[in-house]
Amino acid sequence: MALTITCPICGKRNGYEFRYGGEDKGPRPEEAGLTPEAWCDYVHMNKCVAGVQKEWWFHKDGCGSWFTIHRDTTTNLEVKGPEADK
Amino acid sequence: MMTRFNQLPTLKIDPTKKVIFNYKGKTYSGVEGDTIASALYANGVRIYARSLKYHRPRGLYSLDGECSNTMMEVDGIPNVRTENTLLKQGMTVKEQNVKGSAEKDMLGFLDKLDWAMPAGFYYKMMHKPARIWPIAMKQIRKTAGLGEISPDFEMPGKFDEIFPRTDVVVIGGGPAGMTAALAAAEKGLRVIIMESRPWLGGFFDYRTAEYKDGVALYQRGQDLAQQVEANENIRVLKHTAMVGAYSNCLVTGFQTGTDKDAFNERYVEIRANSVIVATGCIERPLIFDNNERPGVMQVGCALRMARNYGILPGENGIFSVGHDLGLEAAIDLFDMGMKIGCVADVREDGQDPELVLALAKRNILLLKGWVATEAHGKKQVNKVSMSSIDGMITRDFDCDVLVASAGLTPVTGPLTMAQIKLRHDDFTGFFVADEMPENTFSAGRILGINNALSIECSGTLAGIKAAKACGACDAAEVEAAEAAMKALPGPVRGSKLVTAPVKGRKSFICFDEDTTIKSVKQTIDSGFDVPELVKRYSSAGLGPGQSGIPGHNLPLYVAKYQALAGVPVKPTTVRAPIVPTFIATYAGTNHTMHKRTPIHNLQVADKGILRKIGVWERVRYFSEDYSCKKEIENVRNNVGMLDGSTLGKFRLHGPDALKALQRIYVSDMSKLKPGRVKYSAMCNDDGCVIDDGVVVMLGENDYYITTSTGRAGQTVEWFRYHTRYDGWDFSMVNITDSMGVINLSGPNARKVFEKITDEDVSNEAFPYSGFKEMLFKDVIPAKVMRLGFVGELSYEFHVASSYMTSLWQLLKEAGAEFGIQNFGVEAQNVLRMEKCHIILGQESEQRTNLLDVGLGFLWDRKKADAKTVGAVALRQAENDPSRFKLVGFKMENNGRAPRDGALVVDSKVRGYIATARDSFSLNEAVGMALVESELAKVGTRLEIYEDECGDERIYGKVVPMPFYDPDGTRMKS
Ligand SMILES: [Zn+2]
Repeated sequence: MALTITCPICGKRNGYEFRYGGEDKGPRPEEAGLTPEAWCDYVHMNKCVAGVQKEWWFHKDGCGSWFTIHRDTTTNLEVKGPEADK
Repeated sequence: MMTRFNQLPTLKIDPTKKVIFNYKGKTYSGVEGDTIASALYANGVRIYARSLKYHRPRGLYSLDGECSNTMMEVDGIPNVRTENTLLKQGMTVKEQNVKGSAEKDMLGFLDKLDWAMPAGFYYKMMHKPARIWPIAMKQIRKTAGLGEISPDFEMPGKFDEIFPRTDVVVIGGGPAGMTAALAAAEKGLRVIIMESRPWLGGFFDYRTAEYKDGVALYQRGQDLAQQVEANENIRVLKHTAMVGAYSNCLVTGFQTGTDKDAFNERYVEIRANSVIVATGCIERPLIFDNNERPGVMQVGCALRMARNYGILPGENGIFSVGHDLGLEAAIDLFDMGMKIGCVADVREDGQDPELVLALAKRNILLLKGWVATEAHGKKQVNKVSMSSIDGMITRDFDCDVLVASAGLTPVTGPLTMAQIKLRHDDFTGFFVADEMPENTFSAGRILGINNALSIECSGTLAGIKAAKACGACDAAEVEAAEAAMKALPGPVRGSKLVTAPVKGRKSFICFDEDTTIKSVKQTIDSGFDVPELVKRYSSAGLGPGQSGIPGHNLPLYVAKYQALAGVPVKPTTVRAPIVPTFIATYAGTNHTMHKRTPIHNLQVADKGILRKIGVWERVRYFSEDYSCKKEIENVRNNVGMLDGSTLGKFRLHGPDALKALQRIYVSDMSKLKPGRVKYSAMCNDDGCVIDDGVVVMLGENDYYITTSTGRAGQTVEWFRYHTRYDGWDFSMVNITDSMGVINLSGPNARKVFEKITDEDVSNEAFPYSGFKEMLFKDVIPAKVMRLGFVGELSYEFHVASSYMTSLWQLLKEAGAEFGIQNFGVEAQNVLRMEKCHIILGQESEQRTNLLDVGLGFLWDRKKADAKTVGAVALRQAENDPSRFKLVGFKMENNGRAPRDGALVVDSKVRGYIATARDSFSLNEAVGMALVESELAKVGTRLEIYEDECGDERIYGKVVPMPFYDPDGTRMKS
């Protein structure tokens, strides 16, 4: 895996040390009034963008933090934060 | 055995040291430094193998393992590339893909049947009528594939892996690579240089032509190699083939070990800040009739055989080349004693005048604009037909070696692997990269240059660019290096010839797959018109040489054949591993590593029989009786103790700890009371049950949690994942390994317990589900829980790992008068099954939800605010009739228990057996099964199918759960 990931605590490390935690979809929805479809969408549907996305990673062989990075899915490389959001 | 040069300064062998080996059952000798291939050649072997499809004889060709010609079975390992493998004392070498011998192959007649096997043969033929396919397939399978391996073959040797980190990695240890490494190292950077041959030197290594000022190229090569090896900033990985190059400056390879290394082969994965590709060139094969007959070899092969291995490849040589290197080789080999009938050069002009003069001085006939069209000789070349490129004039020459090459072509594998787009350059005839990825640079002959000083200068430039990329020098230095480069000769014009003027029925574009020019034409005529499609359909380039031979000829030919259609010249994609590698090398050291519990040694001393269970090594049985009758009966009737240290153990604390518990566990954890144990379960977002365990409240905002053995590793991650948006203030620590657990179970458990404590542990003072923090012998602090997993009176002692030995011995001594015995994991499994206490993963699988296994009573529906993981899905699943249910069953007519995993069937599969055993406690076979809800009613007959049972079925009947002590009086009193 050519990917490197920058952990907010440990810095830039080999991608092997991390576990992918999915696209950033925001907090869990409120249960009141939640339809089965909306729930399934939250859990299982992904945008799968070809380009830069914000996503969760877990530093499993390191500090044990969950954090987000921005990654370009077409190059599989981490990209810098805020400007990539635009 | 032929005489070998033993005084050349370019030799890589030590002619004084003999190496004895076995080839086809006979003893041969080579010398130290020989490859298997060079030793065989020195012993007169010319036919190394037979080809895949037509069983044509094959011999030495590239000397760099670019094709399967010289693959052999070595010490039982098939497909060893003998040109790249050093000879070792006592090796056993065999030929491959022959029926009989390579010399006399009984399948040699297949060569005459090529008309019956056109391109796409396998796709087109023998499908109609359909019934002949299975018969044809059997016959094809017999002849297909290279090499044979027995299914129980064990790979010999030691394998390793390293993951070095560096500033600059240089691929290629030739002059450009070495100057690049030196330039970068000079700037203080750490450099790794990898070279596929066992020595540095590359293009300079075997050449006697002048470098400058009377210094020969090989001397300059040796000088550079010494500088590189002496440089403290440079790590040299020789005999290390690159197998992969990726974005983000990641380069992989494998290194062959020497006698001094602790490995035979090791995987190398290099993470760098900058990559320099200095892979140089290989020769583009010349295509003519019988262009792969033994005796036909490339320029570098012929010259290196003489210069590196001291073997003159033949007595009478004919050359058909397309590059100055060919002329230089002819001159050098002539001077070493080879008679040379003629040198044909496909170029009409553009030769180095000095080389032309040198040929003339030696009276060697130079035919400009000529090319070999056919090699003659049944098994070895003995004559060659030459013609002018237009085919007008022809002439035959006798020879025993034909040195043939169309020209040079760059080794672009690392570039294409890193997804760099290549363009065909008309001037050099090379595939070149116009744009390089970030921090990646190329140097040397890959750029189309050929002058020795230019090659070195390009290396220096690349080294400085890499240093700039690493922030170790400024732009001015790059500009200066660029200016120096501009002052030197640039790229040279390359040969454009692809094939001699032949029809091509026996002109091979790919040796590995026996693909001829004719079959490529057939492929294109069938409509597969671009190189990627041609490759798949004609199989050119699909063999173990990984496109080494057809790599660049194929796209050139495909474009040329369809010139009018304007087909772009594009090489096919190269993929890792671009050099064939042992799977053993990728696997690395393959340690079997397992955790052991704190009282592992005591358990082994008590004759525990170990099994690997997940990440642990645990005692599964305490006797050879795997039914565990004695262990089980002792727990049911007396008292036993079990090492339960593998349980996951956690401390969770902080102001928001309860919120986290409420999110993860399905129960209402706010109802936790001090001194009480709460059993609960966790689900995933689909409501599928992933773990169960107990939670104890130690104090305010302070909890102790256990999980199943298998989930211990993921639990902290799980808690943090599902609370990652909330910013809650809690800490969770995995203390699985720092705590041990002893389970004391059986009707006499309390009597044993009472002997090690003065505290009141009666049923009233320490009831079922109770929890106490205790101190034994004034020094051993313990968390003690009253549980009942095995269905008897039972205590669980959780103590620090360092106290485990003491507590174990304490309990053992206390229990001696009652006859306390050990029990292992299997006994526990049967005991808990009789009580229908489930083990997740055994009574559940990926799709099983909390309700399916009957744990719905744990779920508290009134805590929507907690957004409990799985709650929404459980609500949806609640009324779903299509779900499996966990049921208890017993076997009919006192039958035996089915195997775990057996299927419950009628006309189709209706469920499966989770766990079933012949129960000693109940005197009958019982178990639990997951079945469709229709079959879940008590009294339903279950038809059970086991693997390989044929028409035999066994039958069980659904009965109420649990089977043992249904009221729980034994466990709770
Ligand atoms: Zn970290």
